[in-house]
Amino acid sequence: MSPAVRKVVLPVATFVTFIALWQLASVTFEIPVYLMPAPSDIWGGGQGLGLVLFDHALQTLNTIVLGFFCACCVGIPLGVLVSVNRTISEMFYPLIVFFNAIPIIAIAPILVVIFGTDETTRLIIVTLTCFFPIMVATASGMMDTPSEMLDLARVAGASTMVEILTVRLPHAVSFIFSGLRIGVTVAVIGAVVAEFVNANKGLGYLVTSSTAQFAIPTATACVVMLALISVLLYQAVNWIHRGFFAWSIKTDAGD
Amino acid sequence: MTQAPLRDPALTLVARATPPAPKPSAERKEPIIELSHAGVTFETRKGEALTALEDLNLTIYREEIVSLVGPSGCGKSTALRILAGLQPLSSGDFWIGGGKTRQGFSEVAIVFQRPTLLPWRNVLDNVLYPARVLRGRATKEDKARALELLELVGLAEMAKRMPHELSGGMQQRASIARSLILDPKILLMDEPFGALDALTREDLQLDLLEIHARTKKTILLVTHSISEAVLLSDRVAVMSARPGRLQDLIEVDIPKPRGPESGALPAFHEYSRRIRDDIFGPRKRREVQA
Repeated sequence: MSPAVRKVVLPVATFVTFIALWQLASVTFEIPVYLMPAPSDIWGGGQGLGLVLFDHALQTLNTIVLGFFCACCVGIPLGVLVSVNRTISEMFYPLIVFFNAIPIIAIAPILVVIFGTDETTRLIIVTLTCFFPIMVATASGMMDTPSEMLDLARVAGASTMVEILTVRLPHAVSFIFSGLRIGVTVAVIGAVVAEFVNANKGLGYLVTSSTAQFAIPTATACVVMLALISVLLYQAVNWIHRGFFAWSIKTDAGD
Repeated sequence: MTQAPLRDPALTLVARATPPAPKPSAERKEPIIELSHAGVTFETRKGEALTALEDLNLTIYREEIVSLVGPSGCGKSTALRILAGLQPLSSGDFWIGGGKTRQGFSEVAIVFQRPTLLPWRNVLDNVLYPARVLRGRATKEDKARALELLELVGLAEMAKRMPHELSGGMQQRASIARSLILDPKILLMDEPFGALDALTREDLQLDLLEIHARTKKTILLVTHSISEAVLLSDRVAVMSARPGRLQDLIEVDIPKPRGPESGALPAFHEYSRRIRDDIFGPRKRREVQA
């Protein structure tokens, strides 16, 4: 088997076996659906929803992507500021760490009271959940710039701004993408939390509402959908990295 | 008063009689870099003062190659960093080119021990980087000049390659081309061949001699290699460690153009021995005393 084939076949085989065993266990031990739905029940739950499932999924995807985008717009510049200016770093870093330490699930209901029950609040919640890894990754990347590169920029007469744009930020790109990969999966969690506390649409809302009616297969189908969205977005970030910033991916092709 | 008008025509006559182009002795003695009583003191984490460089006096003249040699910690790189504007002085003074403020690589350019090419730009764009920083963009003339320089360092074919596709020696050649892009008067080189293998090193040393013969840059070179210093330099400044200060200044009178055969000259070994004695002499004496 070629390495490329192995990469696909092995995980798929494991996955299929896992599903089969699960199904088998559910049938043989007659596990009640409300305790642990079998894969077939979950499939049935999803089918029962039909296109409605995708409608809700789109709503959630929208919240995730917009919120994640806001987090990038906040996190990357903040990471740059914190890493470049020592005073700003000393002034704001502890505060930012403190805000990040607040459990987002705990303040989500409060945020709903403050900002109202609409999309804005959901976006704020998603942004708050995922800006931190993006900011920290950006700052680490900026500070990781080799001193010789900074010396080069300085002798060439670069201002701080030019230095950031031509040396520090490009060097930080691979770091930033590590932050984005973490950030995008956290954004999914943020969106679900936002929909738990404030929504009449979306997968998070569907999970709470169907659980309340003991429609466990439906709820589980939503969870599976969320996982699929998470994987898809993670891969999308990877594709953007490879497609537009291929130079920043380190290869082991010698010196 | 009556004598003055008589003297002036005489002077102009002399000036006219001298051909303007080849007056090497006069041009060579025009100072272009001056360090006077330069000292640098660092403060360590514990708050102790660490003297990296003490009372360094050195004048470098236009078009000459001067090497700074000495053991690690003698402050030779610090001296170079002062002139590059990367290290403030704790005491003393210096000027380089026209003064202390510089116009990027158009006045003073630097070559580091590592090539320090930006990995996200191709070789041509790396060579153009100083022009982009200084003027915001690279003009057509800049591009033509960059290609010329890449030709000069033997990388004409590599202009569109990315740095990681080049060998270490090629990368360093590209960084030398980059240093020349804005036609600086002065080239500062911080152990430029120190990270290369012995053969590549020899190759690049000869290239540098050729580049110097063609472009007549003033070059200040920091090196660990005594033979490199003798081969390349018009003068060698030997420095001693802790605190770093100038120990000896040697005029290297080996005929030019120099090449691999220069290494076989008796004078070459004479100079090398003198530098070695300068560096290792005091240590031997200490050992004898102990």
